[in-house]
Amino acid sequence: MIRNLLLSLALIATALASAPASAQSSAGPLPKVRLFTTGGTIQSRGAHRQKLMEYSDGKVTPEQLVNDLPELKEVAQLEYMEISNVGSPSVNTEIQLRLAKEINAWLAKPESAGAVVTHGTATLEETAYFLNLVVKSDKPVVLVGAMRPFTAVSRDGPFNLYNAVRVAGSPKARGMGVMILLNDEINAARDTTKGNTYRTDTFVARDLGPLGYADSDQIVFYRKPTYRHTSKSEFDVSKLSTLPRVDITYGYQEDDGAAIDAFVAAGAKGLVLTGGDKDAIKRAQEKGVLIVSSDRKGSGRVVESEKAAAEKRVTSDNLLPMKARILLRLALTKTSDPKEIQRMFNQY
Amino acid sequence: MTRNLSLVAAVNLAGALLCSAAFAQEIPRHAPPPAMPADVSRLPTIVLMSYGGTIASRGRPRLNVTNYGGKENKRVDPQDWVDDLPELRGVANIVIDDERPAEDAKEPASYDDQARIAKRMNELVRDPKIKGIVLTHGTNSMAETAYYLNLVVKTDKPIVLVGSQRPWTGLSGDGPRNLYDAVRVAASKEAWGKGVLHAMNQLINTARDVDKTSAYRTNTFIGVDVGALGYADPDRIVFYREPVRRHTDGSEFAGKAYPTLPQVEVAYAYREAPGYLIDAMVANGAKGIIVEGTGAGSPTASENDAIKRAQEKGVIVVATARTHGGRVQDTPRRREAKIVPGDNLKPEKARILLQLALTKTSDINEITRIFNEY
Repeated sequence: MIRNLLLSLALIATALASAPASAQSSAGPLPKVRLFTTGGTIQSRGAHRQKLMEYSDGKVTPEQLVNDLPELKEVAQLEYMEISNVGSPSVNTEIQLRLAKEINAWLAKPESAGAVVTHGTATLEETAYFLNLVVKSDKPVVLVGAMRPFTAVSRDGPFNLYNAVRVAGSPKARGMGVMILLNDEINAARDTTKGNTYRTDTFVARDLGPLGYADSDQIVFYRKPTYRHTSKSEFDVSKLSTLPRVDITYGYQEDDGAAIDAFVAAGAKGLVLTGGDKDAIKRAQEKGVLIVSSDRKGSGRVVESEKAAAEKRVTSDNLLPMKARILLRLALTKTSDPKEIQRMFNQY
Repeated sequence: MTRNLSLVAAVNLAGALLCSAAFAQEIPRHAPPPAMPADVSRLPTIVLMSYGGTIASRGRPRLNVTNYGGKENKRVDPQDWVDDLPELRGVANIVIDDERPAEDAKEPASYDDQARIAKRMNELVRDPKIKGIVLTHGTNSMAETAYYLNLVVKTDKPIVLVGSQRPWTGLSGDGPRNLYDAVRVAASKEAWGKGVLHAMNQLINTARDVDKTSAYRTNTFIGVDVGALGYADPDRIVFYREPVRRHTDGSEFAGKAYPTLPQVEVAYAYREAPGYLIDAMVANGAKGIIVEGTGAGSPTASENDAIKRAQEKGVIVVATARTHGGRVQDTPRRREAKIVPGDNLKPEKARILLQLALTKTSDINEITRIFNEY
């Protein structure tokens, strides 16, 4: 145990000694970045350092997270605010709304440069896309997580966090919408999904790829998203305390629509489907439930068609079902007209 | 207007006849043409420029998708495409421009041809009536031509490169759909200002990042590292991304003719790769060397010695990575060795950028800036 501690101290010392001098060379004050913590693997402890699953031996506080990484002081004036300390399956609408409001308050301050959010990776992309639609600023917002807990050997969290703070403080990252940073890659909130259960290169934007990299020599961008986001978004949650219920059903052979009926009975105002029984869909629509057709393949678009329009189904473009759900919830705060919601799906 | 319409009708009729007779087996029957816009004259005028390629080749029998073309198979004239694909007239007013090299040309894709096409494009884009250009090209080196045009053509108008993996006569040929989609992309408002584009397999890629990754599959072209910009889908052309690096209208190299370019060669690194190849390149007049290094861009010890000898003669050296993914970074050691980091450019594209850079400067800091911006 003591040996382990000494080893890790030695590792930290080595890391400090060999930190690239070019990391922050520009003159002037460092950018002000606020870290909003929600929890997740990046803030979790395991029973031993080879434990990469079922790590539930305590949480890491934001203070511990920041103190663990003194290099952060070289790239930003960092402050932190704890929103929650839960795994991402427990992130709910209440946490999302509070997070959005706190980020908007922070970014509205003239002195702020950007925001970083720690998040469990399982639903990180959902919160990222939600923020992409409701943050009212061009300043960078970067979601970060880890695939290996705080206590693991070869943990990816520290470098991810370091890079996320660099991106949040970078003027190049302004206007790019909400971003996701793991594995040195800067990904767009809208298009990125978790593509692997355990690998550290889990986040992928299929077909479209990352926007750029957080490399040792510089933050570099090759792409800018063109769909509407953040400061160009029409959605506003400042006065909302909840969002309409929208559920997702998975399509498969011989699906008889029981799930659709059950969700409607439970009070769903909208459903995102990847298939589904035609009669059950009609029953749902008769009760005023808005239907969005998404897809289970994971890349490519559900194209607009005359058939879908005639059936008053909204097509989800290339949004995965869990992202289509987020957009539909926000859309339903404004309208229940399928045509208007189709416009939103074509623009966001 | 009336003339246009009757022309369209005649083309449609001819297309229908062709499809049902001579090409019944090779070319799928065309769909009913899309509903004609109320005013056909308002369709954008798109130049369909042919530089040949597999898409302009014929082979027999129709299962021949590897050994087509040659003297025994007549090339596809640009007019043949228009006749075979009357649907094109539903999306654009097509003007043909034949820029194919002579049938007996020694070098099938020479720099002279590239320079000629760039010059022609720089002329065409100045015509206010022309709203975009589609260039057909063989797939082997089309990514190089695309990047060259991306740097030297001064315009905001869409320029779209297209080709096919199977000849025009091939069974399940990808050419017709690719060509139709490329014209749709060139005719779309959203494609303006995004640099030179590449449209095949329903993907819209950038000239800078697109690369051929499979010898025969029809999904061969991908945007290395950073993916596609969008899709040419059945319902519409859709973009999710725009490129950030400088191009076309924003390029300092654009709008000028380059009849020749400084000589730049590529040296591949592998275990114990000898430096004498680099010496030979310099002896043969190279002004720049692209090293396709191992891992993150490392040459061998022998190559490094040769690089020093080359640099003493004023040769500029740029490092790229044979990983073909990820960037060669700016590191203190590389800076000390006066090697320009090639970012994530493939060596053949780094070569084009260095050739153009050397027309302006031989200052290593300035060339590093250029590699960071393009």
